[in-house]
Amino acid sequence: MKHHDKTKIIVKNIIVTLGIILMFFGICILVEKWLNTYIPIPAILTLGVFLISLITKGFVYGIVASLISVLALNYAFTFPYFKFNFTIPENLVSAVVMFIVTIVSSALITRVRRAEELKVESEKEKLRANLLRAVSHDLRTPLTTIYGSGAGIVDNLDSLDKEEIIELAQGIKEDSQWLITMVENLLSVTKINGQGVALKKSPIVLEELIDTALVKFKVHHADVDVRLDIPEDIVIIPMDPVLIGQVIMNILENAVRHGENLTYISIKVRTLGDRAIFEISNDGKNIPRDIIDNVFTGYYEKKNKPVDSNEGMGIGLSVCHSIIKVHGGDITVENLKPKGCCFRFWLGLEANEDEC
Amino acid sequence: MSAKHKILIVEDEKNIRNLVKTILKTKGYQVFDATNGSTGVIMFNSHCPDLIILDLGLPDMDGVEFIKIIRQEHQTPIIVLSARHKESDKVSALDLGANDYVTKPFGTEELLARVRATLRNTLIKESGGDLKGAKFTVDNLTIDYDKRRVIIDGDEIHLTQTEYNIVEYLSIHSGRVLTYSDIVKKIWGYSDSGSIKKLQVNMANIRKKLNEKPGENKYITNELGVGYRMNSDDN
Repeated sequence: MKHHDKTKIIVKNIIVTLGIILMFFGICILVEKWLNTYIPIPAILTLGVFLISLITKGFVYGIVASLISVLALNYAFTFPYFKFNFTIPENLVSAVVMFIVTIVSSALITRVRRAEELKVESEKEKLRANLLRAVSHDLRTPLTTIYGSGAGIVDNLDSLDKEEIIELAQGIKEDSQWLITMVENLLSVTKINGQGVALKKSPIVLEELIDTALVKFKVHHADVDVRLDIPEDIVIIPMDPVLIGQVIMNILENAVRHGENLTYISIKVRTLGDRAIFEISNDGKNIPRDIIDNVFTGYYEKKNKPVDSNEGMGIGLSVCHSIIKVHGGDITVENLKPKGCCFRFWLGLEANEDEC
Repeated sequence: MSAKHKILIVEDEKNIRNLVKTILKTKGYQVFDATNGSTGVIMFNSHCPDLIILDLGLPDMDGVEFIKIIRQEHQTPIIVLSARHKESDKVSALDLGANDYVTKPFGTEELLARVRATLRNTLIKESGGDLKGAKFTVDNLTIDYDKRRVIIDGDEIHLTQTEYNIVEYLSIHSGRVLTYSDIVKKIWGYSDSGSIKKLQVNMANIRKKLNEKPGENKYITNELGVGYRMNSDDN
Protein backbone atom coordinates (compact mmCIF):
# COMPACT_ATOMS: atom_id res chain seq x y z
CA MET A 1 0.00 0.00 0.00
CA LYS A 2 2.89 2.33 0.80
CA HIS A 3 4.42 1.66 -2.57
CA HIS A 4 1.10 2.25 -4.25
CA ASP A 5 0.82 5.66 -2.53
CA LYS A 6 4.28 6.63 -3.67
CA THR A 7 3.59 6.01 -7.36
CA LYS A 8 0.33 7.91 -6.98
CA ILE A 9 2.20 10.95 -5.65
CA ILE A 10 4.81 10.77 -8.42
CA VAL A 11 2.14 10.61 -11.13
CA LYS A 12 0.31 13.53 -9.53
CA ASN A 13 3.51 15.60 -9.39
CA ILE A 14 4.38 14.88 -13.03
CA ILE A 15 0.90 15.97 -14.11
CA VAL A 16 1.19 19.16 -12.03
CA THR A 17 4.64 19.91 -13.49
CA LEU A 18 3.59 19.38 -17.10
CA GLY A 19 0.34 21.28 -16.57
CA ILE A 20 2.04 24.35 -15.16
CA ILE A 21 4.76 24.34 -17.83
CA LEU A 22 2.15 24.16 -20.63
CA MET A 23 0.05 26.84 -18.97
CA PHE A 24 2.97 29.24 -18.67
CA PHE A 25 4.12 28.59 -22.22
CA GLY A 26 0.61 29.49 -23.27
CA ILE A 27 0.85 32.71 -21.27
CA CYS A 28 4.24 33.47 -22.86
CA ILE A 29 2.86 32.97 -26.37
CA LEU A 30 -0.15 35.19 -25.59
CA VAL A 31 2.08 37.89 -24.09
CA GLU A 32 4.38 37.70 -27.07
CA LYS A 33 1.45 37.91 -29.52
CA TRP A 34 -0.38 40.78 -27.85
CA LEU A 35 2.41 42.91 -26.43
CA ASN A 36 4.84 41.98 -29.14
CA THR A 37 7.77 41.79 -26.76
CA TYR A 38 10.00 39.09 -25.35
CA ILE A 39 11.15 41.04 -22.34
CA PRO A 40 8.73 39.57 -19.68
CA ILE A 41 9.14 35.99 -20.98
CA PRO A 42 12.05 34.88 -18.71
CA ALA A 43 10.29 36.37 -15.69
CA ILE A 44 7.04 34.53 -16.52
CA LEU A 45 8.84 31.23 -17.02
CA THR A 46 10.71 31.69 -13.76
CA LEU A 47 7.39 32.23 -11.97
CA GLY A 48 6.14 28.95 -13.45
CA VAL A 49 9.15 27.03 -12.20
CA PHE A 50 8.76 28.68 -8.82
CA LEU A 51 5.13 27.51 -8.61
CA ILE A 52 6.11 23.99 -9.61
CA SER A 53 8.68 23.83 -6.82
CA LEU A 54 6.06 25.15 -4.43
CA ILE A 55 3.35 22.62 -5.29
CA THR A 56 5.34 19.45 -5.93
CA LYS A 57 7.28 17.84 -3.16
CA GLY A 58 10.94 17.23 -3.88
CA PHE A 59 13.74 18.95 -5.65
CA VAL A 60 13.59 17.01 -8.91
CA TYR A 61 10.46 18.52 -10.46
CA GLY A 62 11.71 22.10 -10.02
CA ILE A 63 15.05 21.27 -11.66
CA VAL A 64 13.44 19.42 -14.56
CA ALA A 65 10.99 22.27 -15.04
CA SER A 66 13.80 24.84 -15.04
CA LEU A 67 15.74 22.82 -17.61
CA ILE A 68 12.69 22.62 -19.88
CA SER A 69 12.06 26.34 -19.38
CA VAL A 70 15.65 27.25 -20.26
CA LEU A 71 15.45 25.15 -23.43
CA ALA A 72 12.05 26.59 -24.35
CA LEU A 73 13.24 30.13 -23.72
CA ASN A 74 16.22 29.51 -25.94
CA TYR A 75 14.23 27.73 -28.62
CA ALA A 76 11.08 29.77 -28.90
CA PHE A 77 11.57 33.14 -27.34
CA THR A 78 15.13 34.29 -28.06
CA PHE A 79 16.78 35.10 -31.35
CA PRO A 80 17.20 33.13 -33.58
CA TYR A 81 13.57 32.06 -33.04
CA PHE A 82 12.61 28.36 -33.09
CA LYS A 83 16.21 27.28 -33.10
CA PHE A 84 18.53 26.23 -30.33
CA ASN A 85 21.42 28.61 -30.13
CA PHE A 86 23.72 28.89 -27.19
CA THR A 87 26.49 30.71 -29.08
CA ILE A 88 24.95 34.17 -28.85
CA PRO A 89 26.27 35.59 -25.57
CA GLU A 90 23.02 37.22 -24.41
CA ASN A 91 21.08 33.95 -24.95
CA LEU A 92 23.69 32.09 -22.99
CA VAL A 93 23.64 34.66 -20.20
CA SER A 94 19.84 34.69 -19.93
CA ALA A 95 19.76 30.90 -19.94
CA VAL A 96 22.38 30.63 -17.21
CA VAL A 97 20.73 33.32 -15.07
CA MET A 98 17.35 31.69 -15.35
CA PHE A 99 18.76 28.28 -14.56
CA ILE A 100 20.46 29.64 -11.43
CA VAL A 101 17.33 31.48 -10.30
CA THR A 102 15.19 28.40 -10.64
CA ILE A 103 17.68 26.15 -8.90
CA VAL A 104 18.07 28.55 -6.02
CA SER A 105 14.34 29.05 -5.64
CA SER A 106 13.52 25.36 -5.71
CA ALA A 107 16.32 24.68 -3.25
CA LEU A 108 14.94 27.38 -0.98
CA ILE A 109 11.40 26.04 -1.16
CA THR A 110 12.59 22.51 -0.50
CA ARG A 111 14.44 23.75 2.53
CA VAL A 112 11.41 25.57 3.91
CA ARG A 113 9.37 22.42 3.45
CA ARG A 114 11.99 20.34 5.26
CA ALA A 115 11.91 22.79 8.15
CA GLU A 116 8.13 22.41 8.37
CA GLU A 117 8.41 18.65 8.40
CA LEU A 118 11.01 18.87 11.13
CA LYS A 119 8.66 21.04 13.14
CA VAL A 120 5.89 18.45 12.95
CA GLU A 121 8.41 15.79 13.92
CA SER A 122 9.54 17.78 16.91
CA GLU A 123 5.92 18.29 18.02
CA LYS A 124 5.52 14.53 18.02
CA GLU A 125 8.84 14.23 19.81
CA LYS A 126 7.65 16.70 22.43
CA LEU A 127 4.49 14.71 23.06
CA ARG A 128 6.52 11.57 23.45
CA ALA A 129 9.01 13.22 25.78
CA ASN A 130 6.20 14.61 27.94
CA LEU A 131 4.54 11.25 28.18
CA LEU A 132 7.82 9.54 28.96
CA ARG A 133 8.63 11.99 31.70
CA ALA A 134 5.20 11.69 33.29
CA VAL A 135 5.21 7.93 33.02
CA SER A 136 8.67 7.42 34.44
CA HIS A 137 7.61 9.55 37.39
CA ASP A 138 4.55 7.40 37.87
CA LEU A 139 6.53 4.20 37.53
CA ARG A 140 8.60 4.84 40.59
CA THR A 141 5.85 4.35 43.18
CA PRO A 142 4.70 0.88 42.13
CA LEU A 143 8.29 -0.18 41.49
CA THR A 144 9.16 0.78 45.05
CA THR A 145 6.35 -1.39 46.36
CA ILE A 146 7.25 -4.32 44.16
CA TYR A 147 10.98 -4.19 44.85
CA GLY A 148 10.55 -3.56 48.57
CA SER A 149 7.93 -6.26 49.08
CA GLY A 150 9.87 -8.82 47.06
CA ALA A 151 13.08 -8.12 48.94
CA GLY A 152 11.13 -8.07 52.22
CA ILE A 153 9.80 -11.55 51.62
CA VAL A 154 13.13 -13.00 50.47
CA ASP A 155 15.19 -11.44 53.30
CA ASN A 156 12.80 -12.03 56.19
CA LEU A 157 11.04 -15.22 55.27
CA ASP A 158 11.63 -16.81 58.67
CA SER A 159 10.34 -13.92 60.74
CA LEU A 160 7.20 -13.23 58.66
CA ASP A 161 3.98 -15.08 59.30
CA LYS A 162 1.74 -16.29 56.50
CA GLU A 163 -0.61 -13.32 56.62
CA GLU A 164 2.20 -10.81 56.36
CA ILE A 165 3.62 -12.61 53.36
CA ILE A 166 0.20 -12.65 51.68
CA GLU A 167 -0.17 -8.95 52.35
CA LEU A 168 3.19 -8.14 50.78
CA ALA A 169 2.49 -10.42 47.82
CA GLN A 170 -0.91 -8.76 47.38
CA GLY A 171 0.84 -5.40 47.16
CA ILE A 172 3.14 -6.78 44.48
CA LYS A 173 0.17 -8.11 42.54
CA GLU A 174 -1.81 -4.89 42.69
CA ASP A 175 1.04 -2.58 41.80
CA SER A 176 2.17 -4.84 38.97
CA GLN A 177 -1.33 -4.72 37.58
CA TRP A 178 -1.11 -0.96 37.61
CA LEU A 179 2.28 -1.10 35.90
CA ILE A 180 0.83 -3.30 33.19
CA THR A 181 -1.79 -0.65 32.41
CA MET A 182 0.93 1.97 32.29
CA VAL A 183 3.14 -0.04 29.99
CA GLU A 184 0.23 -0.84 27.66
CA ASN A 185 -0.41 2.88 27.31
CA LEU A 186 3.25 3.52 26.63
CA LEU A 187 3.29 0.79 23.99
CA SER A 188 0.30 2.37 22.30
CA VAL A 189 2.06 5.72 22.18
CA THR A 190 5.17 4.26 20.60
CA LYS A 191 2.96 2.43 18.13
CA ILE A 192 1.27 5.67 17.10
CA ASN A 193 4.38 7.81 17.06
CA GLY A 194 6.59 5.25 15.41
CA GLN A 195 8.03 6.79 12.28
CA GLY A 196 6.58 5.51 9.05
CA VAL A 197 4.42 3.01 10.89
CA ALA A 198 1.04 2.97 9.21
CA LEU A 199 -1.97 2.22 11.34
CA LYS A 200 -3.17 -1.27 10.56
CA LYS A 201 -6.95 -1.19 10.50
CA SER A 202 -9.07 -4.29 10.27
CA PRO A 203 -12.87 -4.62 10.20
CA ILE A 204 -14.03 -5.19 13.77
CA VAL A 205 -17.52 -6.10 14.98
CA LEU A 206 -18.64 -3.49 17.51
CA GLU A 207 -20.25 -6.06 19.81
CA GLU A 208 -17.02 -8.09 19.93
CA LEU A 209 -14.98 -5.00 20.70
CA ILE A 210 -17.26 -4.02 23.58
CA ASP A 211 -17.33 -7.61 24.83
CA THR A 212 -13.54 -7.90 24.89
CA ALA A 213 -13.13 -4.57 26.68
CA LEU A 214 -15.78 -5.48 29.26
CA VAL A 215 -14.31 -8.92 29.96
CA LYS A 216 -10.96 -7.27 30.61
CA PHE A 217 -12.51 -4.52 32.73
CA LYS A 218 -14.51 -6.96 34.84
CA VAL A 219 -11.40 -8.89 35.87
CA HIS A 220 -10.66 -6.08 38.31
CA HIS A 221 -14.01 -4.32 38.58
CA ALA A 222 -16.61 -7.07 38.63
CA ASP A 223 -18.78 -5.03 41.01
CA VAL A 224 -19.21 -1.99 38.75
CA ASP A 225 -22.62 -1.70 37.07
CA VAL A 226 -21.96 -1.19 33.35
CA ARG A 227 -25.06 -0.47 31.27
CA LEU A 228 -24.94 -1.12 27.55
CA ASP A 229 -26.90 0.41 24.74
CA ILE A 230 -25.59 -0.66 21.35
CA PRO A 231 -27.34 -1.18 18.00
CA GLU A 232 -29.20 -4.47 17.48
CA ASP A 233 -27.83 -4.79 13.95
CA ILE A 234 -24.26 -5.80 13.33
CA VAL A 235 -21.91 -2.80 13.08
CA ILE A 236 -18.46 -3.26 11.57
CA ILE A 237 -15.87 -0.54 12.14
CA PRO A 238 -12.39 -0.45 10.62
CA MET A 239 -9.85 0.07 13.41
CA ASP A 240 -6.80 -1.18 15.22
CA PRO A 241 -8.70 -3.23 17.82
CA VAL A 242 -5.92 -3.21 20.41
CA LEU A 243 -5.70 0.59 20.35
CA ILE A 244 -9.46 1.27 20.40
CA GLY A 245 -9.84 -1.37 23.13
CA GLN A 246 -7.29 0.62 25.05
CA VAL A 247 -9.31 3.83 24.60
CA ILE A 248 -12.42 2.19 26.07
CA MET A 249 -10.42 0.65 28.94
CA ASN A 250 -8.76 3.96 29.78
CA ILE A 251 -12.07 5.81 29.90
CA LEU A 252 -13.64 3.07 32.06
CA GLU A 253 -10.65 2.97 34.41
CA ASN A 254 -10.68 6.73 34.61
CA ALA A 255 -14.35 6.66 35.65
CA VAL A 256 -13.67 4.16 38.41
CA ARG A 257 -10.62 6.03 39.65
CA HIS A 258 -11.99 9.57 39.64
CA GLY A 259 -15.76 9.22 39.56
CA GLU A 260 -16.38 9.38 43.30
CA ASN A 261 -19.59 7.67 44.41
CA LEU A 262 -20.52 6.60 40.91
CA THR A 263 -23.35 4.09 40.80
CA TYR A 264 -23.09 3.10 37.15
CA ILE A 265 -21.18 3.54 33.90
CA SER A 266 -23.06 3.63 30.64
CA ILE A 267 -21.70 2.72 27.22
CA LYS A 268 -23.85 3.90 24.36
CA VAL A 269 -22.99 3.49 20.70
CA ARG A 270 -25.01 4.62 17.71
CA THR A 271 -24.32 5.14 14.04
CA LEU A 272 -24.97 8.44 12.33
CA GLY A 273 -24.21 8.74 8.62
CA ASP A 274 -20.76 7.31 8.08
CA ARG A 275 -19.76 7.56 11.73
CA ALA A 276 -20.01 5.38 14.82
CA ILE A 277 -20.47 7.56 17.88
CA PHE A 278 -19.42 6.21 21.28
CA GLU A 279 -20.63 7.78 24.52
CA ILE A 280 -19.18 6.54 27.78
CA SER A 281 -20.66 8.32 30.78
CA ASN A 282 -20.99 7.88 34.53
CA ASP A 283 -22.85 9.53 37.39
CA GLY A 284 -19.82 10.17 39.57
CA LYS A 285 -18.56 13.64 40.36
CA ASN A 286 -18.02 16.36 37.76
CA ILE A 287 -14.54 16.93 36.37
CA PRO A 288 -13.19 20.16 37.94
CA ARG A 289 -13.26 23.21 35.64
CA ASP A 290 -9.49 23.71 35.59
CA ILE A 291 -8.88 20.11 34.61
CA ILE A 292 -11.59 19.49 32.03
CA ASP A 293 -10.01 21.76 29.41
CA ASN A 294 -6.69 19.96 29.60
CA VAL A 295 -7.94 16.48 30.21
CA PHE A 296 -6.54 15.21 26.90
CA THR A 297 -3.15 16.89 27.10
CA GLY A 298 -2.06 15.47 30.44
CA TYR A 299 -0.41 18.76 31.35
CA TYR A 300 -2.61 19.64 34.31
CA GLU A 301 -1.21 16.81 36.36
CA LYS A 302 1.93 18.31 37.76
CA LYS A 303 0.20 21.16 39.54
CA ASN A 304 -2.45 20.14 41.98
CA LYS A 305 -1.90 16.49 42.72
CA PRO A 306 -0.72 14.99 45.96
CA VAL A 307 2.75 13.55 45.53
CA ASP A 308 1.81 10.03 46.50
CA SER A 309 -1.25 9.73 44.28
CA ASN A 310 -1.08 6.57 42.28
CA GLU A 311 -2.91 7.96 39.31
CA GLY A 312 -1.42 9.15 36.09
CA MET A 313 -4.70 8.90 34.21
CA GLY A 314 -3.84 12.14 32.46
CA ILE A 315 -1.55 9.89 30.49
CA GLY A 316 -4.38 7.48 29.79
CA LEU A 317 -6.67 10.16 28.42
CA SER A 318 -4.01 11.84 26.31
CA VAL A 319 -3.25 8.41 24.88
CA CYS A 320 -6.98 8.10 24.06
CA HIS A 321 -6.82 11.43 22.29
CA SER A 322 -3.81 10.42 20.19
CA ILE A 323 -5.36 7.06 19.30
CA ILE A 324 -8.67 8.55 18.17
CA LYS A 325 -6.83 11.24 16.19
CA VAL A 326 -4.73 8.75 14.23
CA HIS A 327 -7.94 6.91 13.43
CA GLY A 328 -9.23 10.12 11.86
CA GLY A 329 -11.89 10.64 14.52
CA ASP A 330 -12.31 13.03 17.41
CA ILE A 331 -12.87 12.83 21.17
CA THR A 332 -14.51 15.28 23.57
CA VAL A 333 -15.63 15.34 27.18
CA GLU A 334 -18.38 17.21 28.98
CA ASN A 335 -19.77 17.35 32.48
CA LEU A 336 -23.35 16.19 32.97
CA LYS A 337 -26.01 17.78 35.14
CA PRO A 338 -26.35 17.40 38.04
CA LYS A 339 -23.32 15.12 38.26
CA GLY A 340 -21.12 12.80 36.24
CA CYS A 341 -19.39 13.24 32.92
CA CYS A 342 -19.52 11.90 29.39
CA PHE A 343 -16.67 11.03 27.05
CA ARG A 344 -17.75 11.06 23.43
CA PHE A 345 -15.72 9.90 20.45
CA TRP A 346 -16.44 8.90 16.87
CA LEU A 347 -14.83 6.62 14.32
CA GLY A 348 -15.42 6.48 10.58
CA LEU A 349 -17.41 3.50 9.29
CA GLU A 350 -15.86 3.55 5.83
CA ALA A 351 -12.58 1.75 5.26
CA ASN A 352 -10.58 4.78 4.21
CA GLU A 353 -7.34 3.46 2.81
CA ASP A 354 -5.51 6.57 1.69
CA GLU A 355 -5.58 8.39 5.00
CA CYS A 356 -3.51 5.91 6.99
CA MET B 1 -5.74 -35.95 34.94
CA SER B 2 -2.69 -33.76 35.26
CA ALA B 3 -0.71 -36.59 36.77
CA LYS B 4 2.71 -37.02 35.20
CA HIS B 5 2.10 -35.21 31.94
CA LYS B 6 5.48 -34.09 30.60
CA ILE B 7 5.78 -30.45 29.65
CA LEU B 8 8.71 -28.77 27.91
CA ILE B 9 9.24 -25.03 28.42
CA VAL B 10 11.30 -23.14 25.84
CA GLU B 11 11.88 -19.63 27.16
CA ASP B 12 15.05 -17.55 27.45
CA GLU B 13 13.88 -15.26 30.26
CA LYS B 14 15.02 -16.91 33.47
CA ASN B 15 12.33 -15.46 35.73
CA ILE B 16 9.46 -16.36 33.45
CA ARG B 17 10.92 -19.85 32.99
CA ASN B 18 11.14 -20.32 36.76
CA LEU B 19 7.66 -18.97 37.28
CA VAL B 20 6.09 -21.30 34.72
CA LYS B 21 8.12 -24.24 36.00
CA THR B 22 7.08 -23.65 39.60
CA ILE B 23 3.41 -23.27 38.79
CA LEU B 24 3.34 -26.43 36.68
CA LYS B 25 5.28 -28.48 39.23
CA THR B 26 2.87 -27.57 42.02
CA LYS B 27 0.09 -29.00 39.82
CA GLY B 28 1.93 -32.29 39.46
CA TYR B 29 3.27 -31.91 35.93
CA GLN B 30 6.73 -33.16 35.06
CA VAL B 31 8.65 -30.20 33.68
CA PHE B 32 11.72 -29.81 31.44
CA ASP B 33 13.14 -26.55 30.25
CA ALA B 34 15.34 -25.10 27.53
CA THR B 35 16.72 -21.59 27.20
CA ASN B 36 16.84 -21.44 23.42
CA GLY B 37 15.41 -23.03 20.30
CA SER B 38 18.17 -25.46 19.42
CA THR B 39 18.37 -26.84 22.98
CA GLY B 40 14.59 -27.00 22.86
CA VAL B 41 14.69 -29.27 19.82
CA ILE B 42 17.25 -31.57 21.50
CA MET B 43 15.19 -31.68 24.71
CA PHE B 44 12.10 -32.43 22.66
CA ASN B 45 13.73 -35.39 20.94
CA SER B 46 15.13 -36.87 24.13
CA HIS B 47 12.11 -36.40 26.43
CA CYS B 48 9.10 -36.64 24.09
CA PRO B 49 6.95 -34.19 26.07
CA ASP B 50 3.13 -34.19 25.94
CA LEU B 51 3.03 -30.42 25.57
CA ILE B 52 5.40 -27.56 24.70
CA ILE B 53 5.17 -24.04 26.12
CA LEU B 54 7.07 -21.82 23.72
CA ASP B 55 8.20 -18.21 23.91
CA LEU B 56 8.04 -16.60 20.46
CA GLY B 57 11.08 -14.36 21.01
CA LEU B 58 14.01 -16.76 21.33
CA PRO B 59 17.66 -15.68 21.15
CA ASP B 60 18.79 -18.13 18.47
CA MET B 61 15.72 -18.55 16.27
CA ASP B 62 12.26 -17.20 15.67
CA GLY B 63 9.68 -19.10 17.71
CA VAL B 64 7.76 -19.58 14.47
CA GLU B 65 10.78 -21.47 13.08
CA PHE B 66 10.69 -23.73 16.12
CA ILE B 67 7.04 -24.56 15.45
CA LYS B 68 7.89 -25.42 11.83
CA ILE B 69 10.69 -27.77 12.92
CA ILE B 70 8.48 -29.60 15.42
CA ARG B 71 5.50 -29.79 13.06
CA GLN B 72 7.55 -31.49 10.35
CA GLU B 73 7.17 -34.78 12.16
CA HIS B 74 5.17 -34.31 15.34
CA GLN B 75 1.71 -33.19 16.40
CA THR B 76 2.72 -32.47 20.00
CA PRO B 77 0.54 -29.57 21.18
CA ILE B 78 2.26 -26.19 21.49
CA ILE B 79 1.13 -23.21 23.59
CA VAL B 80 2.79 -19.98 22.56
CA LEU B 81 3.72 -17.15 24.92
CA SER B 82 3.52 -13.87 23.06
CA ALA B 83 3.60 -10.15 23.70
CA ARG B 84 0.59 -7.92 23.31
CA HIS B 85 0.47 -5.66 20.23
CA LYS B 86 1.46 -8.58 18.04
CA GLU B 87 -1.81 -10.03 16.75
CA SER B 88 -0.14 -10.97 13.49
CA ASP B 89 2.49 -13.06 15.32
CA LYS B 90 -0.23 -14.91 17.18
CA VAL B 91 -2.16 -15.57 14.00
CA SER B 92 0.86 -16.84 12.10
CA ALA B 93 1.90 -19.06 15.01
CA LEU B 94 -1.61 -20.52 15.19
CA ASP B 95 -1.83 -20.97 11.43
CA LEU B 96 1.52 -22.78 11.47
CA GLY B 97 0.21 -25.30 13.93
CA ALA B 98 0.51 -23.82 17.41
CA ASN B 99 -2.52 -24.94 19.43
CA ASP B 100 -3.05 -21.89 21.57
CA TYR B 101 -1.45 -18.76 22.94
CA VAL B 102 -1.19 -16.87 26.20
CA THR B 103 -0.45 -13.17 26.12
CA LYS B 104 2.28 -11.75 28.35
CA PRO B 105 1.81 -10.63 31.05
CA PHE B 106 -0.41 -13.59 31.96
CA GLY B 107 -2.04 -14.77 35.16
CA THR B 108 -1.10 -18.21 36.44
CA GLU B 109 -4.73 -19.38 36.35
CA GLU B 110 -4.99 -18.44 32.70
CA LEU B 111 -1.88 -20.42 31.80
CA LEU B 112 -3.01 -23.48 33.75
CA ALA B 113 -6.45 -23.37 32.12
CA ARG B 114 -4.84 -23.33 28.66
CA VAL B 115 -2.56 -26.22 29.59
CA ARG B 116 -5.50 -28.29 30.85
CA ALA B 117 -7.67 -27.50 27.83
CA THR B 118 -4.88 -28.28 25.37
CA LEU B 119 -4.00 -31.59 27.00
CA ARG B 120 -7.66 -32.59 27.16
CA ASN B 121 -8.13 -31.77 23.49
CA THR B 122 -5.21 -33.97 22.59
CA LEU B 123 -6.71 -36.83 24.57
CA ILE B 124 -9.98 -36.50 22.66
CA LYS B 125 -8.15 -36.55 19.35
CA GLU B 126 -6.07 -39.56 20.34
CA SER B 127 -9.21 -41.43 21.24
CA GLY B 128 -10.17 -41.27 17.59
CA GLY B 129 -12.03 -37.97 17.46
CA ASP B 130 -15.16 -39.83 16.43
CA LEU B 131 -18.25 -37.73 17.06
CA LYS B 132 -20.73 -40.60 16.79
CA GLY B 133 -22.91 -40.72 19.83
CA ALA B 134 -20.83 -37.97 21.40
CA LYS B 135 -22.15 -34.89 23.10
CA PHE B 136 -20.52 -31.62 24.01
CA THR B 137 -21.44 -29.68 27.10
CA VAL B 138 -20.42 -26.29 28.38
CA ASP B 139 -22.36 -24.54 31.13
CA ASN B 140 -26.04 -25.19 30.35
CA LEU B 141 -25.47 -25.72 26.61
CA THR B 142 -25.35 -29.17 25.03
CA ILE B 143 -24.56 -30.16 21.48
CA ASP B 144 -25.88 -33.47 20.25
CA TYR B 145 -23.58 -34.28 17.34
CA ASP B 146 -25.73 -37.17 16.05
CA LYS B 147 -28.87 -35.07 15.74
CA ARG B 148 -26.99 -31.88 14.95
CA ARG B 149 -28.88 -30.09 17.68
CA VAL B 150 -27.90 -27.36 20.10
CA ILE B 151 -29.82 -27.33 23.36
CA ILE B 152 -29.84 -24.78 26.16
CA ASP B 153 -31.66 -25.76 29.36
CA GLY B 154 -33.66 -28.35 27.48
CA ASP B 155 -34.79 -25.97 24.72
CA GLU B 156 -33.53 -26.49 21.20
CA ILE B 157 -31.83 -23.48 19.60
CA HIS B 158 -32.63 -23.22 15.91
CA LEU B 159 -29.46 -22.57 13.97
CA THR B 160 -28.97 -22.51 10.21
CA GLN B 161 -26.74 -25.18 8.66
CA THR B 162 -23.79 -22.80 8.48
CA GLU B 163 -24.31 -21.55 12.02
CA TYR B 164 -24.47 -25.10 13.30
CA ASN B 165 -21.32 -26.06 11.38
CA ILE B 166 -19.43 -23.16 12.97
CA VAL B 167 -20.62 -24.00 16.47
CA GLU B 168 -19.80 -27.67 15.96
CA TYR B 169 -16.31 -26.91 14.67
CA LEU B 170 -15.58 -24.58 17.59
CA SER B 171 -16.91 -27.10 20.10
CA ILE B 172 -14.76 -29.94 18.78
CA HIS B 173 -11.78 -27.73 19.59
CA SER B 174 -13.25 -26.24 22.73
CA GLY B 175 -10.85 -24.35 24.95
CA ARG B 176 -8.71 -23.56 21.95
CA VAL B 177 -8.69 -20.42 19.84
CA LEU B 178 -9.36 -20.95 16.13
CA THR B 179 -8.28 -18.22 13.74
CA TYR B 180 -10.75 -16.53 11.38
CA SER B 181 -9.05 -18.00 8.32
CA ASP B 182 -9.01 -21.47 9.87
CA ILE B 183 -12.77 -21.38 10.54
CA VAL B 184 -13.56 -19.84 7.14
CA LYS B 185 -11.59 -22.52 5.29
CA LYS B 186 -13.26 -25.27 7.29
CA ILE B 187 -16.81 -23.98 6.81
CA TRP B 188 -16.77 -22.65 3.25
CA GLY B 189 -13.79 -24.55 1.89
CA TYR B 190 -12.19 -21.41 0.51
CA SER B 191 -11.46 -17.90 1.70
CA ASP B 192 -11.72 -14.60 -0.11
CA SER B 193 -11.87 -10.95 0.88
CA GLY B 194 -15.52 -11.13 1.91
CA SER B 195 -15.41 -14.37 3.84
CA ILE B 196 -14.28 -12.96 7.19
CA LYS B 197 -17.24 -10.61 7.09
CA LYS B 198 -19.49 -13.58 6.31
CA LEU B 199 -18.09 -15.30 9.40
CA GLN B 200 -18.56 -12.17 11.53
CA VAL B 201 -22.21 -11.89 10.47
CA ASN B 202 -22.85 -15.58 11.19
CA MET B 203 -21.18 -15.23 14.60
CA ALA B 204 -23.35 -12.20 15.40
CA ASN B 205 -26.46 -14.28 14.62
CA ILE B 206 -25.17 -17.20 16.68
CA ARG B 207 -24.56 -14.93 19.66
CA LYS B 208 -28.06 -13.53 19.36
CA LYS B 209 -29.62 -16.99 19.23
CA LEU B 210 -27.53 -18.23 22.17
CA ASN B 211 -28.51 -15.06 24.02
CA GLU B 212 -24.90 -14.06 24.68
CA LYS B 213 -24.44 -10.65 26.31
CA PRO B 214 -21.32 -8.52 25.73
CA GLY B 215 -18.99 -8.87 28.71
CA GLU B 216 -20.79 -12.00 29.92
CA ASN B 217 -20.42 -14.48 27.09
CA LYS B 218 -20.98 -17.94 28.52
CA TYR B 219 -20.14 -20.11 25.54
CA ILE B 220 -17.96 -18.39 22.96
CA THR B 221 -15.05 -16.05 23.70
CA ASN B 222 -14.03 -13.38 21.18
CA GLU B 223 -10.30 -13.24 20.61
CA LEU B 224 -10.39 -9.85 18.93
CA GLY B 225 -8.34 -9.65 15.75
CA VAL B 226 -7.41 -13.34 16.02
CA GLY B 227 -10.43 -15.64 16.10
CA TYR B 228 -12.98 -17.38 18.34
CA ARG B 229 -12.81 -19.85 21.20
CA MET B 230 -15.52 -22.16 22.48
CA ASN B 231 -15.27 -22.20 26.25
CA SER B 232 -14.85 -25.47 28.04
CA ASP B 233 -16.05 -26.29 31.51
CA ASP B 234 -12.65 -26.36 33.14
CA ASN B 235 -11.46 -22.89 32.18
